[in-house]
Amino acid sequence: MTSLTDRYLAATRRAVPAARREGIAAELRALIEDMIDARTGAGQDAASAEREVLAELGDPERLAARYTGRRPYLLGPTYYPAWERLVTLLLSFVPLTVGALVGLLQAADGDNVGGAVGQGVSAAFQVAVQIVFWVTLVFVVLERTNTPLELPAWSVDQLPRVPVERQIGLADTAASVAFLALVIVFLPLQHLRSFATTATGDNLPLLDPALWGFWLPWLIGVLVAAVGVEIAKYRAGCWTWPLVGVNAMVNAAFAVPVVWLLLTGRMLNPELVRHVDWLARGDNLDRVATVVAVGTVLVVLWDTVDSVVRAYRSRGCGAGRPAADPGHPVND
Amino acid sequence: MVSDEVLRTHLQELRRGTVVVASLVALRRPDYGYALLQRLARHGFPVEANTLYPLLRRLEEQGLLASEWNTQESRPRRIYRTSESGEALLRRLLDDLAAVQSSLSGLIEGADQ
Repeated sequence: MTSLTDRYLAATRRAVPAARREGIAAELRALIEDMIDARTGAGQDAASAEREVLAELGDPERLAARYTGRRPYLLGPTYYPAWERLVTLLLSFVPLTVGALVGLLQAADGDNVGGAVGQGVSAAFQVAVQIVFWVTLVFVVLERTNTPLELPAWSVDQLPRVPVERQIGLADTAASVAFLALVIVFLPLQHLRSFATTATGDNLPLLDPALWGFWLPWLIGVLVAAVGVEIAKYRAGCWTWPLVGVNAMVNAAFAVPVVWLLLTGRMLNPELVRHVDWLARGDNLDRVATVVAVGTVLVVLWDTVDSVVRAYRSRGCGAGRPAADPGHPVND
Repeated sequence: MVSDEVLRTHLQELRRGTVVVASLVALRRPDYGYALLQRLARHGFPVEANTLYPLLRRLEEQGLLASEWNTQESRPRRIYRTSESGEALLRRLLDDLAAVQSSLSGLIEGADQ
């Protein structure tokens, strides 16, 4: 029959280094007995006094940690900021990239688009879990071995700029990027799985497959550049003149080939036109091409003019000027 | 109105370093942990046993306390006393405590004007 005190000391002994185990245990035993004596001397019964004393000393693991100086946490303040920055950086693009690649490869391989999306999402999730696990493990080992990180010291130059007034919200940027990503995915997808099929059930791409020779890769490249503009815009917080210029170039690089291809009748798949009766009838094909071309020009022009107006309104943004805030009295 | 929780954490912060000073002063007269704990409590330094005991070990490892086992009494006890380097450190700490006190007094008087 072992007493609570014996069990408490055994639990503490396990968690302290062997070299100091006996000394610490003997000293703690004397302490516990002294504390129990103080309570029974005041008239308390021995059993409840023992329970109270051990409860007061607390969790043996924590007590042992105080003796050994072992840190009762996974990552301390020395390593946490670096861990957070690295995990955030990796999670910001790696799972999405891997998931998109896996999804696209699956979509190209088989004919189950829904399954491909599912596999992409699952791959992205697994990659995210792996990243967090391995990065954390490495940092925990660094923490336990007290390895210096040798990171460049923080300097005031790293302070993020505060825009005078944030024009570009995260929601806007996310929506724009999502839309561009959908278009980028649509271009290869319409080739593999469109709604149109031939009489024998074969898939009919919407766009002319000959365009894969140059123009469709070009358009995909331009759309990726447009994603870059969205991100740069978000980081700047508002439209700046260089951004307006780059945005106009990207718009032109997209709209000019699209309009030209539409108006010269090289955009749509000739097979598709032949199979869809309505398109082959009269001027319908030309009318569709004209409407889409005019629509494209209008959207691009509106976007460009809007960017100029907004850049004009936010003059000085991004120049590092601190936000003027006369509405706030200085409290002291 | 200051909440009890806020008050408690600030008092704890303020008291943290003084336990070391008080222990080094008290152990000019050799004593074992539990007796030291009771002496400190009587003089207005309430400290938990699970804080004081590991602290005594740490101070001993730093050479600020010396210790030996006393096996003459009913139960074996580890007797600590302030070592020479502990005494030297204590003098520096007491000087600093006095400096803090006088700085604070100066600040309080200055704030009145």
